[in-house]
Amino acid sequence: MKKKEKNINQLSRYLKKYSLMYITGILILLAIDYLDLYIPQYTGEITDGLASHGLDQEGVNAILLKMILCALAISAGRFGFRYFIIGTSRKIERALQNDIFRKLETLSQRFFNENKTGDLMAYFTNDLDALREALGWSIVSAVDAFVLSMMTLHRMMTKVSVSMTLYIMIPMGGIGILSYFVIQAFERHYTAKQESFGKLTDAVQESITAERVIKAFTQEEKQLDYFRTVNRSNFNVNMKLAKLRSLAWPLLEVFIGISYLIVIMVGGYYTITNRITLGRFIMFASYLGTLVWPMIAFGDCLTYITQGAAAMKRINRVFNEKAEITDSPEPDDVSTLEGEVCFDHVHFRYGKDLPEVLSDINVKIEKGETFAIMGRTGAGKTTMVNLMTRLFDVSSGSISFDGHDIRKIPLAVLRENIAYVPQDNFLFSETLRKNLSFGKLDATMEEIVEACRMADVDDNIQDFPDKYETMIGERGVTLSGGQKQRVSIARALLKNSPILIMDDSLSAVDTDTEDNILNNLRSLRHGKTTIIIAHRVSTVQNADHILFLDEGKVAELGSYSELMELNGQFARLQRKQQLERQLAGSQED
Amino acid sequence: MAKIEKEQVITAYKGRLFRRLLRYGRPYTSNFIIAFILVLAVTALTLYQPTLVARAIDENIENYGRPYAVTAQDQSQLNYHGVWLTRDFDLETADYESYGQIVYYDEHYYYFAGLSRSDVQFLQDRLSTLNEVVSQNSSADRLQINAGENLLEGTLLSREDLEVLRKDDINGILRIGLTYALSILIYALCNITQAFLLQKTGQAVVYDIRNELFEHTHSLPLRFFDTHPVGQTVTRITNDVEALSRLFSDVLVSVVANVARIIGYLVVLFCISVTMSVRTLVLIPLVFVLTAVFQVLFRKAYRLIRTKVSGLNTFLSEHISGMKLIQLFAREDHKYDQLKDTTADLYRSRMRELMYYSIYRPVVSLLYTLSVVLVLFRGSAGVLAGGITIGIVYIFIDYVQALFEPIQQLTEQFSSLQNALASGEKIFTLLDQKNTIEEKPDFTSVEKFKGKIEFRNVWFAYEEDDYVLRDVSFVINPGEKVAFVGATGAGKSSILNLIGRYYDIQKGEILIDDINIKDLSLKQLRQAIAQVQQDVFIFTGDIKSNIRLLNQEISDEQIVEAAQTVNADHFIESLPHKYDEPVSERGATLSAGQRQLLSFARTLAVDPAILVMDEATANIDTETEQLIQKALKTLMEGRTTIMVAHRLSTIQHADNIMVIHKGKLRESGTHQQLLAQNGIYKKLYELQLYSNN
Repeated sequence: MKKKEKNINQLSRYLKKYSLMYITGILILLAIDYLDLYIPQYTGEITDGLASHGLDQEGVNAILLKMILCALAISAGRFGFRYFIIGTSRKIERALQNDIFRKLETLSQRFFNENKTGDLMAYFTNDLDALREALGWSIVSAVDAFVLSMMTLHRMMTKVSVSMTLYIMIPMGGIGILSYFVIQAFERHYTAKQESFGKLTDAVQESITAERVIKAFTQEEKQLDYFRTVNRSNFNVNMKLAKLRSLAWPLLEVFIGISYLIVIMVGGYYTITNRITLGRFIMFASYLGTLVWPMIAFGDCLTYITQGAAAMKRINRVFNEKAEITDSPEPDDVSTLEGEVCFDHVHFRYGKDLPEVLSDINVKIEKGETFAIMGRTGAGKTTMVNLMTRLFDVSSGSISFDGHDIRKIPLAVLRENIAYVPQDNFLFSETLRKNLSFGKLDATMEEIVEACRMADVDDNIQDFPDKYETMIGERGVTLSGGQKQRVSIARALLKNSPILIMDDSLSAVDTDTEDNILNNLRSLRHGKTTIIIAHRVSTVQNADHILFLDEGKVAELGSYSELMELNGQFARLQRKQQLERQLAGSQED
Repeated sequence: MAKIEKEQVITAYKGRLFRRLLRYGRPYTSNFIIAFILVLAVTALTLYQPTLVARAIDENIENYGRPYAVTAQDQSQLNYHGVWLTRDFDLETADYESYGQIVYYDEHYYYFAGLSRSDVQFLQDRLSTLNEVVSQNSSADRLQINAGENLLEGTLLSREDLEVLRKDDINGILRIGLTYALSILIYALCNITQAFLLQKTGQAVVYDIRNELFEHTHSLPLRFFDTHPVGQTVTRITNDVEALSRLFSDVLVSVVANVARIIGYLVVLFCISVTMSVRTLVLIPLVFVLTAVFQVLFRKAYRLIRTKVSGLNTFLSEHISGMKLIQLFAREDHKYDQLKDTTADLYRSRMRELMYYSIYRPVVSLLYTLSVVLVLFRGSAGVLAGGITIGIVYIFIDYVQALFEPIQQLTEQFSSLQNALASGEKIFTLLDQKNTIEEKPDFTSVEKFKGKIEFRNVWFAYEEDDYVLRDVSFVINPGEKVAFVGATGAGKSSILNLIGRYYDIQKGEILIDDINIKDLSLKQLRQAIAQVQQDVFIFTGDIKSNIRLLNQEISDEQIVEAAQTVNADHFIESLPHKYDEPVSERGATLSAGQRQLLSFARTLAVDPAILVMDEATANIDTETEQLIQKALKTLMEGRTTIMVAHRLSTIQHADNIMVIHKGKLRESGTHQQLLAQNGIYKKLYELQLYSNN
């Protein structure tokens, strides 16, 4: 019960905020519905007057004038409720889009590892679409359908005949029930159709991507046979939808037809026997037209409101997610870091049931030193960095900077003081300049160019069509792996932080460039802490200390010469790499 | 490599385009004809149904004015208070002794009995102007009328009286009701059948075009795939074809049906009353224009929304996957502001669409009511002046309102027609791509290839005159292992492409077993050659299906055997489901080395005479590397092998090494011979050693 309350919370905040808009919109809707009923009534009055010869042209004109005024008011109202209700649903959609993103920004990497990007995006697209429909048109439909049908039925009963109204309510109720089930079935078949289309697209995509293999293995005919079966099953799924489509509307029309039939038969009989007048008969027929739409709308909005509620429930899952990595309620008074990092009996596992990735790490990185971390894939190198940047919190033990526990340092201070070059070299689809100044938004052009020189990428950038204003990504230039790495290094250098972490950031650059960058780093990072993760011994040989991790434990720790002397895993790796280079070196392609 | 061509759609089709699209509907002509007839029937019924109501009103409900005559029992079914009555006569020529007449006054019916013919005629003339002749002495149940010197008196009719007197009208209503019920039934059946037929046809056409496009695409040479992005081609086969389905399942027939409906309504209305039609239909053209104009605006607004939605999606997908970076750089606020701009953009575009609809819909509904007002205005004048009945007014109201629907639909259908034509253009542009690699109809058939390969003065360019290979000649004997070495872009990979005839050469000849490859069928040629590529493509499926590749003749046993031979069984057996382990290209469950081994098994399963190999440069761990080397040895046994090699170990084991430099074959020989020659090979070799030190 408690949980349910929570689910409504986020939405009710906005419903409250925009309640005035909704109330105004609904009032307008009510007014329109009320006025709408006058149109058939006026029509009836005129026909009646003509039949009983109680009206002359002037009388007719007076009624017609009222009709025109009514129609004008209705049209103005139709504009109004769209603005107030539908417009508000779009405002809420926008606000929720912003809120979800804002919330995501506070969530830890654990959340992003557990949830695929595509699934998270579905909240913004599919779910918010459903919610927008529920908050907009469904509310309009629901109010409209309810009020309109009630008022119409009331008029039918009081102005024309109770028994006749009861008769036509049988087929009308049928329309409501039928439309509810038809829409449900449509949703089901439509989802199936989308899925089938997705499968078809995957099949085509795969087949065309594999064109070379298919040609090499002369599989063209077999591919076509296979595609035919996929295509056929897509056809079948579509036919199911088609059958429903062909049946649904004509069936509804049968019900509508039956209600008109009742009007003719019963109404005709009533008119002849003078229970109702001819004008009332015609009035009833036109009221019937007004009643059809609300009946269909009932089924419609019921479906959309259910879907909207389900969507809100999903979205709330994000809102209810607890941010794991947050500032301590009593943070230490730290505004800059000096650059000393200390791991004290650090243990870490990514999940309760997952194996330990780091066990009992005790390492002290002195201010101003260059510290290298090596080890095989999966040894825990990147995990150490993840802990230092507090993407995750340690399972036990502690990490401290200049004696402050990492959890006591405000998150913003910690991250502002660490410059980081990630392994995946993520760049945004923006201009190079914007990407470079990501860590220092107010960087001058001179500073940017200087950082790029240091990262040995300025020359490449000068070759691009728009130089530093070149767009990166789909809409612009695609950078090579090496270029990305160097841009990513420049981005970090520009921050000029007390601590620089490079996670395997030189793997895609050739050895000459690597030497250049390492040389530049030495002068640039003098007196500041630099932490380098690497695979190549050549990258780390000038580091002050080298940590060799093995299966999450400190295997070896010392300077280059110390480790060589130790003649352990590091020394073995060094010799192996030397040999490899001499013998089986790859032709740089 | 060739540059990606900008998407070019041939727009020169125009007139022919529509005809060419229609050609795909030809196998289903009978469906169209039946559907069309049914649509016409449906349209006719739509027109017919309101006239039934009008008939019920005019001929039955408002039929109280028809006089009665007293007649003999055998000529009547109507007994009113012991008197046998009939209404089945013509007053002008009738010759009865006594007549009766119903009169409607002040919402009550009165029956005048015992009238003479002239009395009846008097009453008939004054049915609509009774107040002038109603006498002051009338009471609630008696109506007195001054007919000249006669004073006529009618008695008030009760519900039961009316039921008896108007039996024939009630029966008439019953008959009309039955007809109406029948018309509903026929209408529904016709509608269901035609909709189903058309939907099926639309889907069938889509199915046909997809197969044709798919087959055609795979018949195109590699050059096409070099120059056209995969996504674009996929869109042609999927989305663009989908856009055509509406053309066949809906638009084509609906356009005709709606035009028929509009014409039908207009014809009926003009037949009933030309002046009334001219006076009441003036607003209809306005609806046409308004809808057409707004249709354009809607499309524009919709496109803008699509752009903004995909803009937001791009932003989200990028920033959700890059969230780590945002957090590490503590740029949450900065990025949140950017997102707000993006969502505000989308919001504005949605509001623009909303505004268009908020104007269009109310204006149309206003025009709708105004049309009814116009009908009532003109209609009432007509009724008051005589000449127009209330039934006619009813039909006019009904039809004028009904006209709105097909008009609005027609403009919508016109825009989906445009969409279909646009997609059609793109589809035909792909279908008209020519296959430049032509097979000779009278190709030479070869039982089994021995594996001799010869290049005779081969010149080749991917793009005009930009030769990648210049005058290359060499002979490789059956069973020989040849390695091609050279700097990047020297033309090594091109040689591999040419042997399987993935591209045609400009000059010279390529022969396999002394037969020009242009004289062989592509199928035979490519079946003789197995390609082992750098990037191994993994199909969605399982390990088995990735070795077998849709070739059902290869048994499970053969698959296991092939996997064992190339040492792939080791890692396959370690997978949870072994040979049935699901794999896919995107699900990166297999390492580069494992992919290589899998591709070896794939190759071995087809048992080729010639092995063509582009050695992988990817880093593979030592253990797998050793497995690969061993597997390669088995694979090459007894086969002509031609490879682009990177590893010195592979190169050294080749029977012959050919050095390609700037598109020319410069040196050839064994490793030792070439080193002794002190030429390009030696330089390449030293450069490699040096650059890695």
